[in-house]
Amino acid sequence: MIESTTVFRKCSDARYRNIGGEGIVVRQTAGEVLVLNEVGVRVLDLLAKGGTVDSVVEAVAADYEVDAATAERDVIAYAQELVEAGVIETLSA
Amino acid sequence: MTYSDTIRRVWDENLLYSALVELTYRCNLDCYFCYNDTGLKGVPLAYAQYVRFFEDLRDMGTLDLTLTGGEPLAHPEFFALGRQAREFGFVVRVKSNAHALRGKLARRMKDEVDPFLIEVSLHGASPETHDRQTRVPGSFARLVGNLREARALGLRIKLNSPMTLWNEHEIEAMYALADDLGAHVDFDPLITRRDNGDAEPQQIGPSREGIARLFQHQRERGATLRAKFPSPAMASAKVGIEPPATGREKHCGAGSSSITVDPFGNVYPCVQWRRRIGNLHDESITTLWRHSDELTEVRRLASEVKAAVDGHQAPDMGFCPGSAELETGSPTQIYPAIKVIRDMRKRVPAG
Repeated sequence: MIESTTVFRKCSDARYRNIGGEGIVVRQTAGEVLVLNEVGVRVLDLLAKGGTVDSVVEAVAADYEVDAATAERDVIAYAQELVEAGVIETLSA
Repeated sequence: MTYSDTIRRVWDENLLYSALVELTYRCNLDCYFCYNDTGLKGVPLAYAQYVRFFEDLRDMGTLDLTLTGGEPLAHPEFFALGRQAREFGFVVRVKSNAHALRGKLARRMKDEVDPFLIEVSLHGASPETHDRQTRVPGSFARLVGNLREARALGLRIKLNSPMTLWNEHEIEAMYALADDLGAHVDFDPLITRRDNGDAEPQQIGPSREGIARLFQHQRERGATLRAKFPSPAMASAKVGIEPPATGREKHCGAGSSSITVDPFGNVYPCVQWRRRIGNLHDESITTLWRHSDELTEVRRLASEVKAAVDGHQAPDMGFCPGSAELETGSPTQIYPAIKVIRDMRKRVPAG
């Protein structure tokens, strides 16, 4: 379960870059490519650098001028998607 | 938003997406038609220069990094560079003849470099044919054994086959061998000149009948695969993640999304278009990418090429501005091999 203190790291199998504001993620073993939009790659950047969910929520709320509750709900849901897609994994909770 | 959309943006906005690095021209095979200019002189890039170059690429958002040669494994610091590329988060591809890819080296490739893909040249489906082209007896048997070993280690292999007069009679058998090895195979019916302009390799370019035979077999094979895998998603999953050719304005991404660097630091728009745009001994890739007049000209030409190729009704024929420039002196000029491909495609339409 993802909580406000959860920390992630990028899965070693996943490679990604922020390319002109969009994210390209390659899952090496599966040979699959995911394309992330601007917000998606910003969240992935922050999560992959080891930020807690709380710190990512704070950054997203500030960057995109949304309220903290909305940002938290969206970040947790998105982090869950990235975990299920094999892009990031939980480091600690 | 799709991958194709992103690649189109990469071309249109000149975002450096992929770099191909020729680490050395040394090789343990002696292929008759090798395009490398082995007489080229210069000061090889040092390890620290490569690391700085890789750092710049990472900071520019480059995702694809191909290590090639010559034979890249012949570079004394191949594994250190491969590890560094992996640590910097590139999708690493290795182009190798796989002659040395066995035992400890194969294991190290998987454990240390962990490439997304290893591209290997296949020159025939029999020792007689393959070894004739590599001019190293025993290279076919060794290749097949090494590829099986690599696959068992979990390395993903793609085969590239330059089609020649010497191997065109084994097309079907080469496809069968690739299937047996669990690898995708691409045939290239265009044998190019050497990078120094030497046309000798083209003496063994494939015959018109050979090209028609390739197209016919691909057509039949395509129909079989479509019947087996009716879903487009399944079909594309077999191929991997080659960036699709989707530019609106440009014929290709040469100099717009890609660069090639030779062992001496010379930078080119792509592996085939050897128009020198600078040298990493003198300037960083960041500076070259932003300020090279030569690169600006290449990008302009890429648009001109698209218009010319569309006008010649030769899209999807593998037209390469680099080959055109080498063959005719102009990157927009249709060259003889493309005319042959166009004629044969008319005779045997794609399925």
